[in-house]
Amino acid sequence: MITKQLINQIEGEATISFDIKDGVVDFATIAFPHFRGIESILKRKDALDALVITPRVCGICGHAHLMATVRAIEDAYKNAGYRVELSKKVEIIREFTLVMEIIQNHFKWIYLTIIPEISKLIKPNQKQTPLKGAYAASIASKAIAIFAGQWPHSSYMIPGGITTDPTNVDILKVESYVDELINFFEKESIGISLETFLSFKSNKNFGGLKSDISFLENNLMNLNMDKKGFAHDRFLVLGKHTFSKPLKIEQTYPTSSDVKYVNITEAYSLNQVSYAKNAQYGDIFYEAGPLSRTISNNLPIVKNIYRRSKDSAYTRVMSRIFELATLLQHAKNLLSKIDISQKSYTQCMDISKITAKGIGVVEAPRGPLLHLTDIKDGVIQEYKIVTPTQFNIGSSTKENPTPVQQAMRGTTKEEALFIFRTFDVCSVCTTH
Amino acid sequence: MTDRIEGVKKLFTSKSARVETNRGDAHYEKLFQSCLARVEELKSQTPINKRLDISDVLETQGVNRRDFMKWASAVTGMLMLPASFTPLVADAALLMNRAPVIWLELSDCAGNSEALLRSDGPKIDEIVLDIISLEFHETLQAASGHQAEKQLEDAIHTFKDKYLLFVEGAIPMGMNGQFGTIGASGETMYDHLMRVAKHSAAIVAVGSCATFGGVPAASPNPTGAVGVMDVIKGKPLINIPACPANPANMVGVIIHYILTGQVPELDSLLRPKFAFGYRIHDNCERRAHFDAGEYVEEWGDEGAKNNFCLYKVGCKGPMTFNNCSIVRYNEGVNWPVGVGRGCIGCSEPDFWDKYAYERPMADANIKAPTGGVEKTVDEFGLGLLTAAGIGIGIHAAASIVAGKKEDRGEA
Repeated sequence: MITKQLINQIEGEATISFDIKDGVVDFATIAFPHFRGIESILKRKDALDALVITPRVCGICGHAHLMATVRAIEDAYKNAGYRVELSKKVEIIREFTLVMEIIQNHFKWIYLTIIPEISKLIKPNQKQTPLKGAYAASIASKAIAIFAGQWPHSSYMIPGGITTDPTNVDILKVESYVDELINFFEKESIGISLETFLSFKSNKNFGGLKSDISFLENNLMNLNMDKKGFAHDRFLVLGKHTFSKPLKIEQTYPTSSDVKYVNITEAYSLNQVSYAKNAQYGDIFYEAGPLSRTISNNLPIVKNIYRRSKDSAYTRVMSRIFELATLLQHAKNLLSKIDISQKSYTQCMDISKITAKGIGVVEAPRGPLLHLTDIKDGVIQEYKIVTPTQFNIGSSTKENPTPVQQAMRGTTKEEALFIFRTFDVCSVCTTH
Repeated sequence: MTDRIEGVKKLFTSKSARVETNRGDAHYEKLFQSCLARVEELKSQTPINKRLDISDVLETQGVNRRDFMKWASAVTGMLMLPASFTPLVADAALLMNRAPVIWLELSDCAGNSEALLRSDGPKIDEIVLDIISLEFHETLQAASGHQAEKQLEDAIHTFKDKYLLFVEGAIPMGMNGQFGTIGASGETMYDHLMRVAKHSAAIVAVGSCATFGGVPAASPNPTGAVGVMDVIKGKPLINIPACPANPANMVGVIIHYILTGQVPELDSLLRPKFAFGYRIHDNCERRAHFDAGEYVEEWGDEGAKNNFCLYKVGCKGPMTFNNCSIVRYNEGVNWPVGVGRGCIGCSEPDFWDKYAYERPMADANIKAPTGGVEKTVDEFGLGLLTAAGIGIGIHAAASIVAGKKEDRGEA
């Protein structure tokens, strides 16, 4: 029996078409019905206009798009024979605002998506606290705004640097926001100190805790989510950051990954209009995002959970929470390393002298984000965007399923809908 | 030269660009009485939304009465009402759950509802937005799929001709609307909008996509995206452009509607004058540097370190009408100009093609808001530099003339 399920409460809309046999999902295809055509809009525009256009691809990870654009243009400079020198300060501040965007995304996902979704599977209904997610996200976006002017849709990064030249007072303000976030996370989300949480050796440490996260953890276990939602057990990280390195992992064996092997293929969706395309590495589907990043970083607690529960829905959810915790600590470290006396900007060659191709790769909240540009005399000839959701939530054939298609197989429709959310879907990015 | 002088005159004297901040005691006394009557009437009605009570929420969020009144007086000021209206504005905020709101998301990045409704608002604005009787919002509500469609039907039916319709996102008209379909039925965004708009009391287009088409409408406009005002006729319509729209302005419009039962005074682009009656440039914190001729010549120079004017590195503040230089973003923490990133004119039509230039404006062909032919800034900008300086004089003179006209009852 084929049933169609509409997914909203995401950025944009998606539909899943389920083929149910004997009460469980035999196969499912996913379609994204919205399209804006950002790639063709960028064609024939001044290369630097992309700095204003691409952050507007997404209202939730626009900062990652900005960074991908800046990296793509800087890569084009390099390929044209001009070095773009970035000061340490520039690299740290760019990295910091990106990390804060990941943090706000994970907070929203916890309180506005995953806790409400898991509550649908358990009775009696749990009281929801979406304002908590909104509150934490607003603190994170304030920290971004000190450096970037506003969030969302900032354009403060430019090839060669950043426009802002922060003072010590600015850094202090940002620090206090980060502290406020950590306090919130300790008090409201985990119920213990960040340090203790990060020293967890296994999920047994959750025993006896009473907090939002332990509620989530307990119910994931009660619902046997550690035995469901397995994808391909293959992980991919492409962005190079202070918190990630380009790696692919198959059967726990890591090798370096290179963006040149990313392959875009047509999606397969039965009887549905979709503007999405699939992203593969070579001709294989890999899972990307927080689970891949934490495993490639050898985060002990996630490695431990992974050893027992593989790439189940449980591992996927918990890895994201532990990534959030490590990034909160990382954000503080980054701030302490800023030397405000360094340059904010190093002059670059006039863009109209640049004829070259450039690739920008960034780890966005949900996984790798690629911007590929071809510039001629400073004007964009071609612009391609590949987003994290295209890696995780593609729609392929039954013989060669995408990570999400594989993960939903063999579960009930209700469970499948929850598992779908564990990947954190963004429709507006996917079709752009 | 004549063209320019005429242009500047038009800019400062056109009725749509004029902001009237003092309408006289008689006017405000009359307005106060009508607002009071309306607020009393609303108080007697039962709340539509019983889910949340604002006093409780404010308390649990740690906002005390004093903070709340401070916020109310700021909103009163923003709406350009005398201070005596503050208690009424506070009452109106508490009555938010009497105004049914339906929120539609069309072709966009979800930036306005994702980022604003959830996280970007000043604390009380955000709570107030949570309190509004949001009868239907595709991204935020609990129900999804067929259940959600039924909720929408119910909301339209129950609050027929009474609900405010908020629209976020552009309407893709290309390929018979097939670039954006909504719901299990695959209804096009255009049909969806027309169906829900039919029985709304008024429509509020939020963000630059819903107002002018936004980034999806950027050349070559692959999906044929247009704004709400291009397709909806014969309905009160308020545009709140900017990318993203400022939550303070969204709240201002709702409060105004609750208070008066009417849409606020609008400019020629249907933008509320309380928010879009001023140029960014007029209230910019860097304006003094502009007047002193101190500019950032290129990013990272001494001027940049000293927060000089960003005009020469492409700031569009002089041709952009919005209040972000006053209310700023992210709870007033900052705004682009504050980090040395010039304004991109995101609340103006066609900003995505005309104003979004990263490069210094001297190289760009742009059309001034005063109309006329496209010129490079070497021709036009120099003129404007001096014009803006004398502008204040012209403005003052124009106000006097305008005031006289009003006395004769022409306004």
